[in-house]
Amino acid sequence: MPAERLIDDNVLLEELRKGTPEAVEMLFDRFHGKIFSLAMSILKNESDAEEATQDVFMTVVQKAHTFKGNSALYSWIYRICVNTCLMRLRGKRRSETVSIEDFMPVFTEDGMHASLIDDWSKEVERKALDKELGQVIRRFTENLSEKYRVVFVLSDVEGLSNEETAQILGLTVPAVKSRLHRARLYLREQLTTYLREGKTQ
Amino acid sequence: MNCKELVYLLGDYIDGTMDDHLRQELSVHIEMCEPCLNFLKTYDKTRILCREIRPEEIPEEVRNRLRAFVLQKAKEHHRDIEKYLERAAEERREQVTLVIRAYVDNRLSPTLSVLFQAHRDRCDRCGAFLRGINGGKKIPDVPPEIEEHIADFLEGLPPGENPVVG
Repeated sequence: MPAERLIDDNVLLEELRKGTPEAVEMLFDRFHGKIFSLAMSILKNESDAEEATQDVFMTVVQKAHTFKGNSALYSWIYRICVNTCLMRLRGKRRSETVSIEDFMPVFTEDGMHASLIDDWSKEVERKALDKELGQVIRRFTENLSEKYRVVFVLSDVEGLSNEETAQILGLTVPAVKSRLHRARLYLREQLTTYLREGKTQ
Repeated sequence: MNCKELVYLLGDYIDGTMDDHLRQELSVHIEMCEPCLNFLKTYDKTRILCREIRPEEIPEEVRNRLRAFVLQKAKEHHRDIEKYLERAAEERREQVTLVIRAYVDNRLSPTLSVLFQAHRDRCDRCGAFLRGINGGKKIPDVPPEIEEHIADFLEGLPPGENPVVG
């Protein structure tokens, strides 16, 4: 995070605590896209994500005076968002998720790859990330259980560091790394099948 | 190192947190093992592709609805706080005036009377103000800094005692 943004965040918080209406607008304009997309990737449902986003903003507005500045503002807001969404999930019937174990790479007894490993990386390079592939990846990630999904979204989609993701989720860095690694293995496997067979499983 | 071990170490290899010795061992294996090289390339590509996913765009009407909701609720919240603060300030003003009135009329409870006089003698600001009105019939407006100070003093009193008698 560049320093000038940090100063801005401090100013924004200061104004929020005072209840300046422009500060609420600025807060909304700056964060609503991120909060909504994060809520969507956890809740996978637009109306739930909308309600969660409302709750997140109200929590931020009401608790602005409790923010200590130990972490960056966005990471505090992400944490509120993740917690809000997980609370919501808790009250719901879980949607179907795949078992990540079914998509781990398979090895022979002496630890060699048990299946042929194609290199499709160049192939994808040529067509870049088209809309279809983007949607396919999103669908694959939606099938992950939230244990992996949330870590994956924060680290690999939002691009936060493992340390930040760990802090937001209250996990250790090794736990974040291992979940992230498994999520990537799962996605690599799914993408391989998709690109080889041209269809999703 | 075999392929299975290599695959489970790829995360550290890619993010650069692996120690040099292990990294060296991994690199040697990858150089000699085409499946692992392909695995590494596709694993890394997966990671890169995911960074390129555009976040779920918020639909225009959802954004507008959310914006209106948040701004409205925040306004109500801050209005509630303001009202609360105003009421608290009003109550404080009333309490301070009541105590000063009782002090002038000699109606402070015995304990408070002792404490209040001790405070008056110790505190220059409050002392000057109180001596200025001593015996007067009409209590002048209490300056904010005196009000604040007397309110702080009252805060520190033992709870449950009615400060005024009669």
